[in-house]
Amino acid sequence: MPLEILLVLVVGGIAGITALLHLTGRSRLRVLSADTARAEWVRHFPDDTIIDVTLAHDGRAALLRTETGPGLLWSFGADTVARHLRDFDWIDHPEGIEVQFHDFATPGVTVRLDETERRHWRHLLEPA
Amino acid sequence: MTDQISFPDVVQWAVPFFIAAILAEFLWIAVKGRGGRYETRDAVTSLIMGAGNIASGFLLGFIAYGFFMWLWKITPLDLGTSIPVIILCFVLDDLRYYWVHRFGHRIRWVWASHVNHHSSQHYNLTTALRQTWTYTFTFMMVVRAPLILLGFHPAMVLFCGGLNLIYQFWIHTEAIGKMPRWFEAVMNTPSHHRAHHGRNARYLDCNYAGVFIIWDKLFGTFVPEQEDDRVDYGLVHNIGTFNPLRVAFHEWVAIWRDATQPGLTLKQRLAYCFAPPGYSHDGSRHSSEQIKAGHLSRHPEDRGTPGFEHVEQKLPNQPAEQA
Repeated sequence: MPLEILLVLVVGGIAGITALLHLTGRSRLRVLSADTARAEWVRHFPDDTIIDVTLAHDGRAALLRTETGPGLLWSFGADTVARHLRDFDWIDHPEGIEVQFHDFATPGVTVRLDETERRHWRHLLEPA
Repeated sequence: MTDQISFPDVVQWAVPFFIAAILAEFLWIAVKGRGGRYETRDAVTSLIMGAGNIASGFLLGFIAYGFFMWLWKITPLDLGTSIPVIILCFVLDDLRYYWVHRFGHRIRWVWASHVNHHSSQHYNLTTALRQTWTYTFTFMMVVRAPLILLGFHPAMVLFCGGLNLIYQFWIHTEAIGKMPRWFEAVMNTPSHHRAHHGRNARYLDCNYAGVFIIWDKLFGTFVPEQEDDRVDYGLVHNIGTFNPLRVAFHEWVAIWRDATQPGLTLKQRLAYCFAPPGYSHDGSRHSSEQIKAGHLSRHPEDRGTPGFEHVEQKLPNQPAEQA
């Protein structure tokens, strides 16, 4: 196949499918409840026993305390990603906090929090 | 010895079919309200990975082709290009695919290339195109060497490999349940391959087939999809990025970080490169065998069921030194 036709097909195909998915509502982020956050955590870490769940007000992230330590679960497109909070940093962000993992495959996530939540989450992230 | 034989690059010619089939699957799901899920950024990442795979073929394909042509020059055998020879080549190349794919899940160096294909939590036709950019660096082209030394022309071997990849495109769908029983018995199908993409303990390291599922049945790696254990797609530890560069290279970066950490023996460094995924020198990670054993400790009722027939009782945190 001539290279220029292949390029047009690939670029046009990607652009067209992207537009179609976005315009038909396939870009919406997963919204979590406390129950779905629990279920999602167990899906990611079947061995864990959850103590409690703190859900962000927008339902896009949850801080979980488990018997093996705290963890963060967040919306990732239509799905979720979860990490134990072991090797991480967090910094203030204008919209909440930014959690940075030292992991090339999961560099970090911005958690949207209001002022009250921010104080509470700080306390949970730095319990001592 | 015939050098000047040309076969079409069938994967490139299949691109319009790929696009049309993705649109058809999307419309089917939208109209029926079942049969799979689409998410914009996940699909775009998969499509960009597919485009990058073609680009990496343009940039690095000469390495494998040069190696194959060198083998072709030294072999005294030439089976020609008759239809029966092409069919035989297709079947043997599918056997080659089975083993390369199995190595891809059991040797971390090869997994670093293949992992991106499993990195989506979705399973639709775009997932089929989420292909590696780094296959050349796995050196798995050597597994094709016997075919060429037996007298199959390199162009024909690559043609059969292309047909194999095209066959595997349509099985990446939830829109098709089960095919007729005779077909499920012989061929790789959406059902068999859904199980292969599962991160459930039951489905880890199963169904490596490309076209013919008989290889898995022959070599003991076949696990049928179970109605009471719905497939959960993705990785044991799902990644948190849609960035194609991170998707393509994340496991290579992880190997580098693991193998260069201070205080390890040479054996441990090599194990981080070549042992099965999940190896760790201190037992802090779980291999697929340990994940299966852990599942059985929570669900003993699953012992002996498909995917758990040969699981030894092993503590989940036992260091994987034997690797």
